[in-house]
Amino acid sequence: MIIFNQANTERVEYMLEKLEIRGYTWWKDVMGQGSETGEPRMGTHTWPEMNSAAITMIPDEKVDILLEAVKRLDEINKEVGVRAFVWNIERTV
Amino acid sequence: MSIYKSAVNKPITTLMIFTAVVVMGIYSLVQIPVDLYPEMDPPFISVMTTYPGANASDIETNVTKTIEDALNSVDNLKEITSTSSDNLSVINLEFEWGSNLDEATNDIRDAVDLVIDVLPEETERPQIFKFNTSMMPIVFYAVTADESYPGLEKILDEKIINPLNRIEGIGSIGIMGAPNRVIYVEADPYKLEAHNLTIEQIGNTIASENMNLPSGNVKMGKLDYQLRIQGEFNTSSRIKDLVVGNLAGKPVYVRDVATVRDSIKDLSLDEKINGETGLRLFVMKQSGANTMKVAREVRANMVDLQKELPPDVKINLIMDTSEFIEGSINNLSQTLMWALLFVMLVVLFFLGRWRATFIIVLTIPISLIVAFLFLFITGSSINVISLTSLSIAIGMVVDDAIVVLENITRHVERGATPREAAIYATNEVWLAVIITTLVVVAVFFPLTLVGGMTGVIFNQLGWIVTITVVTSTLAAISLTPMLSSKFLKLRERKKKAPALSYERTIERGLGALDNFYERTLRWVLRHKVFTLLAALIIFVGSIFLLQFISTDFMPETDESRITAEVELQTGTRVEETIKTTRYLEDVIQEKFPEVEIMAASSGSDDEGGMFSLFTTTGSNMINFMMRLSDIEDRERSVWEVADGLRQEIAALPEVVNFSVETAGQGLGGTSNTVDVEIYGYDFDVTNELAEEFRMKMENVPGAIDVQVSRKNDKPELQFVLDRDKLALHGLTTAQVSTNIRNRISGMVASQYKEEGEEYDIRVRLKEEFRNSTTEIEELSMVTPAGTRVRLKELGEVKEYWSPPNIEHKRRERIVTVSAKPDRIALGELANRINSEIEDIEIPQEVLINVGGAYEDQQESFMDLGLLMVISLILVFIVMASQFESFAMPFVIMFSIPFAFTGVILALFITNTTLSLVAALGAVLLIGIVVKNGIVLIDFTNLMRDRGIELYEAIAISGKSRLRPVLMTAATTILGMLPLALSTGEGAEIWRPMGITVIGGLLFSTLVTMVIVPVMYGLLAHHGERNKKDTVKKQFRFMNGLEPKN
Repeated sequence: MIIFNQANTERVEYMLEKLEIRGYTWWKDVMGQGSETGEPRMGTHTWPEMNSAAITMIPDEKVDILLEAVKRLDEINKEVGVRAFVWNIERTV
Repeated sequence: MSIYKSAVNKPITTLMIFTAVVVMGIYSLVQIPVDLYPEMDPPFISVMTTYPGANASDIETNVTKTIEDALNSVDNLKEITSTSSDNLSVINLEFEWGSNLDEATNDIRDAVDLVIDVLPEETERPQIFKFNTSMMPIVFYAVTADESYPGLEKILDEKIINPLNRIEGIGSIGIMGAPNRVIYVEADPYKLEAHNLTIEQIGNTIASENMNLPSGNVKMGKLDYQLRIQGEFNTSSRIKDLVVGNLAGKPVYVRDVATVRDSIKDLSLDEKINGETGLRLFVMKQSGANTMKVAREVRANMVDLQKELPPDVKINLIMDTSEFIEGSINNLSQTLMWALLFVMLVVLFFLGRWRATFIIVLTIPISLIVAFLFLFITGSSINVISLTSLSIAIGMVVDDAIVVLENITRHVERGATPREAAIYATNEVWLAVIITTLVVVAVFFPLTLVGGMTGVIFNQLGWIVTITVVTSTLAAISLTPMLSSKFLKLRERKKKAPALSYERTIERGLGALDNFYERTLRWVLRHKVFTLLAALIIFVGSIFLLQFISTDFMPETDESRITAEVELQTGTRVEETIKTTRYLEDVIQEKFPEVEIMAASSGSDDEGGMFSLFTTTGSNMINFMMRLSDIEDRERSVWEVADGLRQEIAALPEVVNFSVETAGQGLGGTSNTVDVEIYGYDFDVTNELAEEFRMKMENVPGAIDVQVSRKNDKPELQFVLDRDKLALHGLTTAQVSTNIRNRISGMVASQYKEEGEEYDIRVRLKEEFRNSTTEIEELSMVTPAGTRVRLKELGEVKEYWSPPNIEHKRRERIVTVSAKPDRIALGELANRINSEIEDIEIPQEVLINVGGAYEDQQESFMDLGLLMVISLILVFIVMASQFESFAMPFVIMFSIPFAFTGVILALFITNTTLSLVAALGAVLLIGIVVKNGIVLIDFTNLMRDRGIELYEAIAISGKSRLRPVLMTAATTILGMLPLALSTGEGAEIWRPMGITVIGGLLFSTLVTMVIVPVMYGLLAHHGERNKKDTVKKQFRFMNGLEPKN
């Protein structure tokens, strides 16, 4: 699960493509704010920016690479903001 | 899919759409005619009727009154005025603005048709003139000639007028003061009597000899011939050999009793150009034609045509209205260019980046070009008003682009790719951008709804600014993001910038300014009461200054033209008038080297003609028309020259009255006068009153050119008939008057034809037999019984006085005493006159009214006041809905009074009068000033919502918004600066607007940046605390559950 500022959309798309991650589900325009420093992304007049979120099921060996990529992306500019969360898939059909 | 997203994703489509707009705009630009003012259809229609030989009171009772009564029922009629003068009745009808004049013309024609049979027989058919600004002559030429003078009219007709008429767009070409060829048959009354002949017999003989008659067909052999009798004279000398009678079996020829002169008409109008004999030629364009183009072609053609003329005929340009237009337009175009340059520099100064500057400045031409497209579609012209509107708009159209670009840059600097930054950053601000535009539109759009004469000006201004600003907003949310996505790059911060780089110089200065402002803000927030009091004192102080500013209607312009009208003692012979003219000409040539060309006409053309509508003529009148050298080439202004001229004319003892005017074509032809109107039937009472007013008004300081509209009575001779004697001789009044008329004025017996032209053959007595009362009484006529009687047997000649012109307004006799302001405002003059004439006793049957341009002025200021109220309400509505609050608009609108303070200060310092244009500038300020406040308050609200403490929020947002506010204000101010500083032709009209807007904006920007935050601090303080409590009450279930830390 990657949640990122919409301003990073293209970079995330490129990242997924480069890491050969084909399957994902994408939510446009999601709201939220960081637990500690992250500015709210509300799409309102006060906080005009918005996040998007992508969830993707990937094999374990790709997880680290993806997390590294997200970290690098975040380091370009901390303010813009991108986060990734990993959890297990129990079952699927 | 939002507009900015589509634009960024389809850059080529976007570019193509804007290219299409620009191409169409440029096409329109080439096609649009150029003119001084927008075409106005002033709702004036005149009905002109000539009744040759009748005096003013005859005309009044027989012609004017009849037609006036008939016309009074025409629909939409606002006011009816008329002038009855010798030979001529002119009725002017004023309609409500916006009424259908074609319909009105038809109504008038119907009404006139109804009474046409009631009018005296000799009156000519009333002519109906519909006024239009395009009917005013656009080019005046002076034609001088020596030996060719007698035939000048024909030469001009063939060599100049006919070829010129072929130019597209020419309405008509007229000649003033042309010598007319007439063939006089002048009889000796004693010889007539000796041969037992009368004038009428000679006339009838000439008429019956000078004709061609078809006499039927003759069939001969196989052919059918037409038989004709060709009796028309082929030379004028044939007339003297006609047989008019028999005496003692011998034929009597015309030459035996009369002399035949083929010559030019008796002198009644004398035209001199720079002191040489000549005439004036004037060109009028068709409605809707391009003045500049027509004038240019006329001038170009004239150069060629002149070569065809005899060497002694010289043609000189006296006046070319297109010169003034060209000057004004060029001047304004330059103004526009300077404004563009200034705006560009401002943007570059604040942003310090070439690419960003380019993107922003690009919105200027696009928005302006769309305005041309609008002009083209609505069929308007490029004129002073549309160009001025553009220079007003030029500083405002970049604002939206600045806001958008600034936000995109912020995103790019935070590391977003330009493409994404363009989309998301625009998404963040597009609403705010549209709202600030709406505020401007709220002020300018009501202008399009104003009616009347001022409406013509305001409508165009309103439309153009609205359209350009809306276009600029559209461009700002489509083209600007698109270009930013392509051109903006993340700029690496240089570690060590060179000493003179942008970062080390301007950037630093701006940073220091930001900090200084933040400190100031924090200080005033701690001293709110003091700040507000200081502001109040400044505002009240400026209101106090207001009394030193005088009001005015329209600023006068230096058009390098002077016209003067000089009136001598009524009844003066033309020959005497001419002497004065010659003297004045010498004086002018000697003392006023600025005068380049001067045309003087003395006397009047007894046929009246179209020109009588514009000038007063009479044997005692002199009309001067002068053109001065260009403004740059002379030291004295047109007003100084006019003043000097006034003194020179006033020094002449024979001059009874005169006026010197400097304005050729004001807006809608309004003259700047205060008129005191005296209504009343009795000539003696009203004359006396008018004289009293005139004396009082001449003593009013600041009043010049005091004029009484009714000229002095002029002497006239009346032949009083004895009806008993008439009956005795079997004569009627009509017969006697026709007989006298034939003998003195002459009987037009027939027309002599030569080369397609017709010339009158006029039979009358020789001058020496009709130039004294005795001679007139000696005139004889034949009674029906065949005997001869002398006039003195039928009555006697008496001398009377009669008014030369009788004016009506609302069908009542009126005299107006008018005065022009001299370096004081019109409103002030009206007040002074009002108080001066207060104590004059007015007879009961007389009504007094003070009006004139002063009336229009008050009406227009009322309109403007209303406009201001509407604008304020609309601006409030827009802001209240944007902030979803009633308090915020008030905080922002607090800056408006200070804008007016700035206006007053600016007017005071530059010593400008508060004219209509200046007042308009003040109204426009509302929209411009409020914009600053919105930017500031919006951001402060944002900070507050983000949870920052009130004063901190105010200080931070102040610091952060200082640059955008300064930038938009600076672009608007500098965009207007060229307008305020221009000195060229026509600049006088618009300078006040530049001055007011700059003054108001400058001052209000400074004050706004302090007062608005303070007001915000005051108002938001309480509201916010209450809000927290209410929320707490609403969600009571959470009480006691808050985390404790």
